Amino acid sequence: MSESIGQDKKRFVIPIGPQHPALKEPGHFDFTVDGEIVTGATVRLGYAHRGIEKAVESRNWTQSLYLLERICGICSHVHAMTYALGVEKLAGVEVTPRAQAIRVLVAELERVHSHMLWLGVAAHEAGFDTLFMFSWRDRETVMDLLESFTGNRVNYSANTLGGVKCDVTPEITTAILKGVDFLEERSQHYLKVVTTDEVFLQRTRGVGTMTKEQAELLGVVGPTARASGVTRDIRVEAPYSAYVDFPVQTVIAEAGDLEARFVVRIKELFESYRLIREILSKLPEGELQVRMPRKVKAGETISRVEAPRGEAFYFIKSNGSDNPERVKVRTPTLCNMGSVVATAVGHQLADMPMILAGIDPCFSCNDRAVTIRDTSGTRYTWEELRRYSIDFYARR
Amino acid sequence: MNILRTLLVLLIFPGGLFVLLNGMIYEWADRKLVARLQNRIGPRWFQPLADMVKLLAKEEIVPASGNGRLFIWLPIVALAGVMTAVLYLPIGGLQPAFSFPGDLIVTVYMLSMLTLCTGIAGANTNDHFSLVGATRTLTQLFSYEAPFLLAMLGPAVAAGSWQINDIMAYASNHPIILLQPVGFVIALIGLMGKLEMRPFDAPEAETEIVAGALTEYSGRGLALFYIGRYAELVAGLTLMAAFYLGGIHSPIDYVLKTLLLLLALVGVQTLMTRLRIDQVVGLWWRYGALLVLAQWFVTIVLKGIVV
Amino acid sequence: MRIGAMLVDTLRSFFQKPITQMYPFERTDTPERLRGKLHWNPENCTGCCLCVKDCPSEAIELITIDKKAKQFVMRYHPDRCTYCAQCVENCRFSCIEMSSTEWEMASGGKEFTINYGSEADIEHLLVKLAESGPDEA
Repeated sequence: MSESIGQDKKRFVIPIGPQHPALKEPGHFDFTVDGEIVTGATVRLGYAHRGIEKAVESRNWTQSLYLLERICGICSHVHAMTYALGVEKLAGVEVTPRAQAIRVLVAELERVHSHMLWLGVAAHEAGFDTLFMFSWRDRETVMDLLESFTGNRVNYSANTLGGVKCDVTPEITTAILKGVDFLEERSQHYLKVVTTDEVFLQRTRGVGTMTKEQAELLGVVGPTARASGVTRDIRVEAPYSAYVDFPVQTVIAEAGDLEARFVVRIKELFESYRLIREILSKLPEGELQVRMPRKVKAGETISRVEAPRGEAFYFIKSNGSDNPERVKVRTPTLCNMGSVVATAVGHQLADMPMILAGIDPCFSCNDRAVTIRDTSGTRYTWEELRRYSIDFYARR
Repeated sequence: MNILRTLLVLLIFPGGLFVLLNGMIYEWADRKLVARLQNRIGPRWFQPLADMVKLLAKEEIVPASGNGRLFIWLPIVALAGVMTAVLYLPIGGLQPAFSFPGDLIVTVYMLSMLTLCTGIAGANTNDHFSLVGATRTLTQLFSYEAPFLLAMLGPAVAAGSWQINDIMAYASNHPIILLQPVGFVIALIGLMGKLEMRPFDAPEAETEIVAGALTEYSGRGLALFYIGRYAELVAGLTLMAAFYLGGIHSPIDYVLKTLLLLLALVGVQTLMTRLRIDQVVGLWWRYGALLVLAQWFVTIVLKGIVV
Repeated sequence: MRIGAMLVDTLRSFFQKPITQMYPFERTDTPERLRGKLHWNPENCTGCCLCVKDCPSEAIELITIDKKAKQFVMRYHPDRCTYCAQCVENCRFSCIEMSSTEWEMASGGKEFTINYGSEADIEHLLVKLAESGPDEA
């Protein structure tokens, strides 16, 4: 059925997605194969476009915070934080150091949870379900910490415009320190597993290698870039929030293969543990929230935050009303997606899920860009489109 | 009287119903043990039975591409092959239902029917996942089959007979697992390849090719393939226990020895990552085949010395 | 350079109790800060509607029955609520709180609206709603 005829020869295409056991979210990849060897790869995104950017325009600044937090189910705090930092910058509101430190604390806990999740998913893609089960079991620890700290396992709503909602109490400090100790021990173990297990290394070492030049050319971000030796980390390059007071070290690896991505992500966990401990021991005193005006001064700003997957980028424009005029979001997955297609060719079909998982893709996050290739068709304005859709459903 | 006995043997014990139930119980034990090793709870005891009842009750969708009649007959042939093999095995610790000189060869080849049918079933559709799965199934078949057969013939050479009963009698008096440790390991791993268990599950790697050769199968056909695989698990374990673990002499002996082997399979399953098909082929031909041939050589030389 | 690096984990877990929780039959205590069902205490409410304004999912309505007598009814739609607790933050008189124990909000029925307020006020509101015809709210 999906066999497509090329220009002059028949190509054998393995379609992965939009529904496929390897993908937990919809995305479509066509791998042209010659036997088991992949000779071509194309990617198609956009199955989970939700129109969040447009929806934000009709909500007020606070409501938008919660909508944007729901862009990603894993790095939800990062999205809320990026937006909040941007809006506070626009409004000229200075958030207290304590609130900033708590934001970073939640962000780092979230990074731990995200990397643990990735470890399990990547192991599952390789067919190593035992590592998957164990890493997800241990991930529950950090989920529970986040739940007792912020009040929810995902979509923590720790942020509010002008500060944070949840405070650190001595009990929570003890709980987090205890959890982090346990997680650090486990992460040491997992680092040992992914770097020494001979059978697993067969599937990761030298697979999906991306050189430093390629990484720079493709503009990849986050741990994917750092595994190729590119020092790209917003927390270090342009420190924001409390990263100014609590600096982090960039973890890099040179190899650029899947093993390096495992190593980078797990070593980043240690950096997160260190940072969490440091913040908890030197938490600045102060108020949690400052007053935020309902209307934000007209202007534009850019806000960048290092999400677990790489750089999250927000462009926020205000026209002085209580609604955002425009919010543009670019998530790290979109930057990294090109590297999948670039590294896929020449590998075995069996490596495809691993290479795909290697960038830690989050499809629903990145599905918001629209490219119009064919400009000849019918054009609608927003109002016309709205009326058309109302008519369309009325006619049914 | 003879017809009645034949029917009994074919449908109730050891073929047919008994193997089916036994296979389901072992399948459950396999899943449960894997789950426990992964700190999970695992399925409840009736899960394989419930799966089978559900699948058998469901509608079978025959794809328009490929040969419809072949599509329906392949699972039946596959199951028949395994069920035939079971007749020559000391299932349940009792004497094999039938026995003749050379039944070992028949049994081993009947056990390959399932894989072969799976491969043909995958090739019989236009589905790309099935086609890749079929290629992988057959590639894997050709890689493990020869070493597995050689490993199975090792005890036969030692015993000087091609009859399962004779080999088992020989195995009862000789510690074959100590005399032919390489053969034991190869046979055990070969069995995992046959059953497409973890490190060798590339033919049905769900994260790559969905369900491999059986992607297009649903309902009854899928159920029959699964039952065939359950029966093959029992047959393979019995054969291994009879040859390498000192024979099977009583039902308790049977249960203990096969479960011990199952535990070994479970351990390997949980600790391994799925191998790529090229790695599987390399592993078998580069190491498996050579090692088992060396084992053969040693066995023959030893036999010559002893005699 | 070894095979089976997770052997110790698997062996240990074989003798351990499974970590899986049989949820409906056994449950752990929820943390104190968990955001569950919304509760509204009308005593201090001034009807400023700040909670309603910032609710990202329009899950709460504050219906004024008599502004001077401070008679309000809060209609809460748990099916729309995202449990973000922005309303709790916004309320200057601490009228709103989220329960940490009532979090199993799934329902088999279609009736998802909860009315908070004094009984007489709710009665009044319901009568008024019934008069104005069937309302999907």
